[in-house]
Amino acid sequence: MSMLLEVSGVSVTFDGFRAINNLSINFAPAELRAIIGPNGAGKTTFMDIVTGKTKPDEGRVIWGDKNISLLGLSESEIVMEGIGRKFQKPTVFEAQTVRQNLAMAVRAPRGPFAVLMHKKARRNAARIEAVAEQIGLSDSLTRIAGQLSHGQKQWLEIGMLLAQEPRLMLVDEPAAGMTPEEREKTTEILKEAAKTCAVVVVEHDMEFVRRLNCKVTVLHEGAVIAEGSLDHVTANQTVIDVYLGRSHA
Amino acid sequence: MQRSFLAQNPSVLWFIACLAIFTAVVTVLSEAMGVGLISTSFVKTLGKTLCLCLIAIAMDVVWGYCGILSLGHFAFFGIGGYAIGMWLMYARTEKIVLESLSGQPIPPTTAEISDAIGNQIFGVVGSSEFPVIWAFADSLFLQLLMVVLVPGLLALVFGWLAFRSRVTGVYLSILTQAMTLALALYLFQNNSGLRGNNGLSGLQNIPGFAHLSQATVSLAFFTASAFALGAGHVFFAWVLSGKMGSVVEGIRDNEARVRFLGYHVESYKLFIFTTTAVVSGIAGALYYPQAGIINPGEIAPIASIYLAVWVAIGGRGRLYGAVIGAAAVSLVSSWFTGGGAPDINFGFYVIQWTDWWLVLLGFSFVAVTLFFPKGIGGLFDLLVRKQS
Repeated sequence: MSMLLEVSGVSVTFDGFRAINNLSINFAPAELRAIIGPNGAGKTTFMDIVTGKTKPDEGRVIWGDKNISLLGLSESEIVMEGIGRKFQKPTVFEAQTVRQNLAMAVRAPRGPFAVLMHKKARRNAARIEAVAEQIGLSDSLTRIAGQLSHGQKQWLEIGMLLAQEPRLMLVDEPAAGMTPEEREKTTEILKEAAKTCAVVVVEHDMEFVRRLNCKVTVLHEGAVIAEGSLDHVTANQTVIDVYLGRSHA
Repeated sequence: MQRSFLAQNPSVLWFIACLAIFTAVVTVLSEAMGVGLISTSFVKTLGKTLCLCLIAIAMDVVWGYCGILSLGHFAFFGIGGYAIGMWLMYARTEKIVLESLSGQPIPPTTAEISDAIGNQIFGVVGSSEFPVIWAFADSLFLQLLMVVLVPGLLALVFGWLAFRSRVTGVYLSILTQAMTLALALYLFQNNSGLRGNNGLSGLQNIPGFAHLSQATVSLAFFTASAFALGAGHVFFAWVLSGKMGSVVEGIRDNEARVRFLGYHVESYKLFIFTTTAVVSGIAGALYYPQAGIINPGEIAPIASIYLAVWVAIGGRGRLYGAVIGAAAVSLVSSWFTGGGAPDINFGFYVIQWTDWWLVLLGFSFVAVTLFFPKGIGGLFDLLVRKQS
């Protein structure tokens, strides 16, 4: 099966600290995947590499059907290739309305001149309505994003990713700080999104990962130590050692 | 659904209406119209203030909307002034030289005329050669082109280097300060080709309009400045009204998020930086013929810092706020420093406002930042809220 994203043999060192150590990980189109691991396992650094924020010292990051290397592209070019990223902290434009937030994200030419001459196309308006429906913010389109609740901001940011029509969504701790009901809804949104594109969720919370009910990859010290269903990886002795902090004992 | 640009931005209409009324009132009361309630020198002050309002709008766009605290926009203002000043000085000197040479029995050659003009202009710095940068000084059209091209290109190159290296925040502010300081120091040199610290003078005499009185000329420049301010306001309001405004404000509030939405943030910053630099150049080109003189001291770093203070006091992130700030502070400033404010005598110490005005300005800046972060413009929010 051809892969959507292939990361192979990637290593990154920050001031002598090996954040990512010969990491290899693959994602298929339209799959839901959870990445777990203790603090400092390299989850966020992995996302930084894929989105172009950090350049690895060695290794390859190959994307899509045409096997493009992402390492030579800028952050914005990578986004236009179809990779969307949600940050750990909800980052929406708090001073602007929900509609404006989504309008900025909707897939459209991104150059300054195109944006300056931008006319509100009906297709875009429909897309905004559809995304708002999907994230449950249809009634809040005219609200200022800063007034939304924490959970709603998280959904709005996921909605901004969806509006980009990505082929891969990297979602960093979407359920952090959410109530159980909000988690339920977040799970639904992500599962729904995974029908059309690959969704990679980085999460601490095992209970939330269990809800996602998907393939799990465990990172530790910048490398994959186990992969499979949640029950499979939690039964793995290395994973247990890592999570109980006995790996160096 | 789709409302017109003006319907979405009622403040633009209000602004244009106020500006039009103001211009009409000043025109009617000016000496040029025979009433003379407003003296010619005050018309000049008002005209200059309008130019300062225009550069304040540019500053508000680059800082208040895009979040780039540029402390160097007066460099572009000065360059605009120098560009138009070169033509004004050349053309006027040429006229004087031609008149004085016309009495001679043998008609002067082109080289002689050029030498004589060069002597007149560069005599003060001990030179009579025309520097290369004066190559187009005889053409009004080309110098007008310089008014927009030179600031635009400088901003483009500077911005490209700075933004590409992801220089942001206070480091960028320091770089822009360094830019305007370097330019000022360069121009202070006698061999810079722009008459060193003498600068360019006599700019209030417009070649070809010598028959008109200063009253008429100043009124014309006042009107032109008002028009430029109105046009600049509408232009930037339009630029910032749609999706461009969303992206630019997004860059101010969360640059990384904009970048990860797929926007090439650097291009947007460059666009805003360059556009505002060009507008600053235009403002300078209108200002200095009214001031009559430009010298390198005008683009010293402090000028650009004042600009930031005006915008902060007037209210960042709203165009009319910048205008209010620039107008209020610069007019009050000239009242205080011009000896208009009475000294305060404590017996043991006399507060002379020419010295103490800066202290007062400093305190008001701190007070606005602490207690009214929205500036004077924020008062309009209170007004609107009361109505609704």
